[in-house]
Amino acid sequence: MSSSKRSTIIVEHLRKQQMWDAISKGKRLDGRNLNDIRPLEIEIDIINKANGSARVKLGNSEVVAGVKVETGEPFEGLENKGALILSAEVLPTASPYSEPGPPDEETVELARVVDRGVRESEMIDLDKLVLVPGKTVYTIFVDCSVINADGNLFDATSYAVVSALVSTKLPVFEMQDDKVVDTGNEQDPPINTIPISITAVRIGDVVILDPSAEEEACMDARITVTTNSNGDYTATQKGSTGSFTIEQIKRAAEIAKVKGEEIRIKLKELLKTGQ
Amino acid sequence: MINQTRNLIDENGRRTDGRTADELREVKITVGVVKNADGSAFIEFGKNKIIVAVYGPREVHPKHMALPDRCVLRCRYHMSPFSTDTRKNPAPSRREVEISKVMREALEPALILEDYPRAAIDVFVEVLQADGGSRCAGIAAASIALADAGINMRDIVSACAAGKVDNKIVLDINDIEDKEGGADMPVAYMPHLEQVTLLQLDGILTSEQFNECVDKALSGCNMVYEIQKQALMQKYFGNETELKEEQ
Amino acid sequence: MQEIKRKYVIPGDKIVEGNFRPLMNVIKTDNSIIATRIGIAETGRDGVKVIPLSGVYIPRVNDIVIGKIIDHSSLSWEVDVNSCFSAHLPAQDVFGRDFSPARDDMGRQLAIGDLIAARIIAFDRTRDPMLTIQDKDLGKIPRGELLKISATRVPRLIGKRGSMIQTIEQATQTRVLIGQNGIVVVMGRNPEGIKLAMRAIRMVEEEAHTANLTQRVKVLLNVPDSPQAEGTSVTQAQNGQKGEEIQSAIEDVEEELEEGEQT
Repeated sequence: MSSSKRSTIIVEHLRKQQMWDAISKGKRLDGRNLNDIRPLEIEIDIINKANGSARVKLGNSEVVAGVKVETGEPFEGLENKGALILSAEVLPTASPYSEPGPPDEETVELARVVDRGVRESEMIDLDKLVLVPGKTVYTIFVDCSVINADGNLFDATSYAVVSALVSTKLPVFEMQDDKVVDTGNEQDPPINTIPISITAVRIGDVVILDPSAEEEACMDARITVTTNSNGDYTATQKGSTGSFTIEQIKRAAEIAKVKGEEIRIKLKELLKTGQ
Repeated sequence: MINQTRNLIDENGRRTDGRTADELREVKITVGVVKNADGSAFIEFGKNKIIVAVYGPREVHPKHMALPDRCVLRCRYHMSPFSTDTRKNPAPSRREVEISKVMREALEPALILEDYPRAAIDVFVEVLQADGGSRCAGIAAASIALADAGINMRDIVSACAAGKVDNKIVLDINDIEDKEGGADMPVAYMPHLEQVTLLQLDGILTSEQFNECVDKALSGCNMVYEIQKQALMQKYFGNETELKEEQ
Repeated sequence: MQEIKRKYVIPGDKIVEGNFRPLMNVIKTDNSIIATRIGIAETGRDGVKVIPLSGVYIPRVNDIVIGKIIDHSSLSWEVDVNSCFSAHLPAQDVFGRDFSPARDDMGRQLAIGDLIAARIIAFDRTRDPMLTIQDKDLGKIPRGELLKISATRVPRLIGKRGSMIQTIEQATQTRVLIGQNGIVVVMGRNPEGIKLAMRAIRMVEEEAHTANLTQRVKVLLNVPDSPQAEGTSVTQAQNGQKGEEIQSAIEDVEEELEEGEQT
């Protein structure tokens, strides 16, 4: 059951006023323009025990994603596809408001939205990850730990997942006498496309991209849009208790496509891959 | 852990990672890495990678858990699913529950909890990559994070493990030595007060080996302490080790 | 001038041996004084203390703090003072003794999100801090730019008798309200001046433990480096009295240099 909550962060009127004044003039409190994304830092291969890993800093939001590849049974109804399982945890280190314990509704939503962006875009060609159809397939676990939360965890987590998957060294498994054997070789993962999510929030009549925690605390509504390398839309999620006009939605979707491509190029550069 | 299947120390006295019996793995500590926390530290202890964030003193929720005359110390040791060889379920295991407890009991003697009545201090230890000795590395980083948060402390707590490998007592055992060796003894220690705050043993040691192991672990603690001190001095005082007295 | 020995310490470090009086952030063992915080240890004739360089704000009676209204019950407002405990501002403090919840609308006077400058009138081990806004220069803060610094750097930002903050205010044509809890509000007409003041404040926060900070701040502000004039008026919100008591160690050294005295 989901219930209304008292806001965790109460932003001072003075700050809200400054934010509204600045936004109406096209600027934000940290000096950014309305459509500017914060500095993005990506580091890959930081967890040697994982098959793939990435640490992303989007402004001060910091997320670590790790990929572990094993073998197992396929999902029901998807007997001829490898399995992809994505989960996320907002660590209690992340902010004064995060508590240890099972994921709350915000964290569950975060994991599912990021998952949808990756899964619906068919980023990984799961058809290529089957060992014995209907019985044994590659199982790719992607786990995310949010280390510091400063707004827009959707995009920070998504970029960490995508970076970790793109840079994963997939083991080469083989069947020998009905048993799975790790040949010890490595292969590149079969990547079809690179999904990029872009999150925007509405404050008053103005829509801004990549909100900080303070801006999220003042937002009326939020929307996350994920596009693939072709510019097609693969996942969307509207969040928070306010609403959007149809024009705002369409405009946000358009910006997400343009900005998404910018981030995609930047990500490829940072990861030095040709995909 | 009783019967070893292979030699873990070669004929030159080198261990699986090339170290000699008395060598500590490489340890690096960075202070103040989690922006939202009151204090934090990131430690690389060999291949262990651990982040610790401290929040406190802060209000206790729920209020009835508060103590009238001192602070409540809460400690959580948790491993990320990708931190181990096989993927670990994110839900807390019994091992994590036990380690959380012994960690809290290792840190509590150093903290002056009476200075913060009705408040809580939370220590969150997150293992991003584990390679033997993660609880010691976690305690060492937690001490730094607590000092970074400005909590009143009687002493820094340092920690290091020693163990038995190929029937020899060695310092700071790694993951392979932990899994295949004969004994593992993590120790936490307050170096100025010369007090042991954590001691566990997993394995078999003769009484002579036991004493040797304790001594070895304590020597490791002293080495770790130097690195902890360096890290704090570096963050707060930069390259100045001595206060410039201008006459 | 008193002989004062200073050094950088971390918790557990022995500061000095002998029968000294423990003053602040230290503990006395058999024959020595040990530091319990990271900071600058000072050993003087009246005792040994450590000036801390980190730590959340712990409320003290008579401190002036800047707080944010986060809730109210029928009898008081709950105020976030950037500390481990929420503070309370009794409705009677604002409405007077014959306050009546039925008649007096608390939300009208002070709404959630409002910022106030207040003084702590009560705080001890058994209860949350209690505030008043009845003194001069206290009350709702209607405008200004907000920034948060570590509470341990506030004495350095105020300076000896207000000297540091006045240097900043005069050079940037701003008025700066400083709460002992690390909340700072910069007010002024000139946006450039406000920006410069904020940069100067951040510089003081980051370099509080270093020598020659005043000089570097003056360079940033484009102020000629002349001998410090003694601060005369100190804004109520700065609580100069407390600032003097917990003086920055390095400011002492600089003043002594300028006055040509020998320690």
